[in-house]
Amino acid sequence: MAADECLAAAAVDHGGLVIRLYRWETTTVSLGAFQPIAAARACEAIAGIPVVRRPSGGGALVHGSDFTYAVAVPKRHVWGATPQSLYDAMHTAMIDALAAWGIKAQLATPHSEADKSFFCFERRAQGDVVTMHPSFKGVGGDIKLMGSAQRRLADAVVQHGSLLLNSNADVDPTVRHVGLADVAVSRGIDPGQFPDWGAELIRGIAKTLGQQVEEQGSFLEACPRGLQARRERYAAASWINRR
Amino acid sequence: MAVPRRYAPSHEWIRLEGDGTATVGISAYAVEALTDLVFMQLPEVGRRVKAGESFGEIESVKAVSDMYAPVAGEVVAVNTELPQRLESLGQDPYEAGWIARIKPDNPADIEGLLDQTAYDALVGKQSR
Repeated sequence: MAADECLAAAAVDHGGLVIRLYRWETTTVSLGAFQPIAAARACEAIAGIPVVRRPSGGGALVHGSDFTYAVAVPKRHVWGATPQSLYDAMHTAMIDALAAWGIKAQLATPHSEADKSFFCFERRAQGDVVTMHPSFKGVGGDIKLMGSAQRRLADAVVQHGSLLLNSNADVDPTVRHVGLADVAVSRGIDPGQFPDWGAELIRGIAKTLGQQVEEQGSFLEACPRGLQARRERYAAASWINRR
Repeated sequence: MAVPRRYAPSHEWIRLEGDGTATVGISAYAVEALTDLVFMQLPEVGRRVKAGESFGEIESVKAVSDMYAPVAGEVVAVNTELPQRLESLGQDPYEAGWIARIKPDNPADIEGLLDQTAYDALVGKQSR
């Protein structure tokens, strides 16, 4: 989370889109910015799993078997003006990448009855990446493969997103969500052949923007006001228990 | 005669009232861009704010956005009913959807913000 604030600063300095791809060392629950901590504590299916809180909105995610990205754009960027534009751009790039590997998916239309669910992957917002499959019946009859949520700052937008690669065995089966590998196997596709989805996502974004990818690995060192203070803020109980 | 509103580039509006306080909210354009609103955290009454400082947050289905104080001053009142009636922001953003009242340190600072014409031009540019 702290690094993602630095990512926003880097996007403003750079004047364009900056993306960070990451995985989680251990299974961790990330709450949306305003989800009540009491709801997480009361959810027995995730008991014992560490909890962090994102600055972005949306529902709780169980990380560990997913691919996670954070992307930042200046607000003046073509995808910075409204929430939907960046959301759709990232998700359309992922849909294209999935299609190239035989997984047909699409942008969701909203299912308002599911928007209050605790878990992100049980919610549906317009533009979520979903796939239809007769064997798996999720909310609205589809399976959510990827969801994202934003923090809109004064001069930049940070968007977090998660593609569920595998069903997470660390959570209770009652809330365990179908992963991309399950969908692949059910369609006769070997998930072991899948590419690096991060690289595929970046390639798709660059193609859409008509721009080149530039690796910029050291943005954290140039982070204004320092990374450590930001880390301490997001690790503090006052942040995690803010609501 | 209606008192004209002024706007911050971050889409908050402000209107100076007869008692020297200023009412603050977010513009109809901003509300529409955020889409379905689900939660709002109001500023604290008594808090001193600087111009451009985040003084509240609003969550929509996809995004959490900061709300910024258009001018420096002290928050003297907040619309406590608003978090339970977020639809007011879309239906009546300039009256029932007010967010806070600020006692400006310098009321003349409000004049330095965007007038309706300038704000409409900004919105037109961002909508393209």
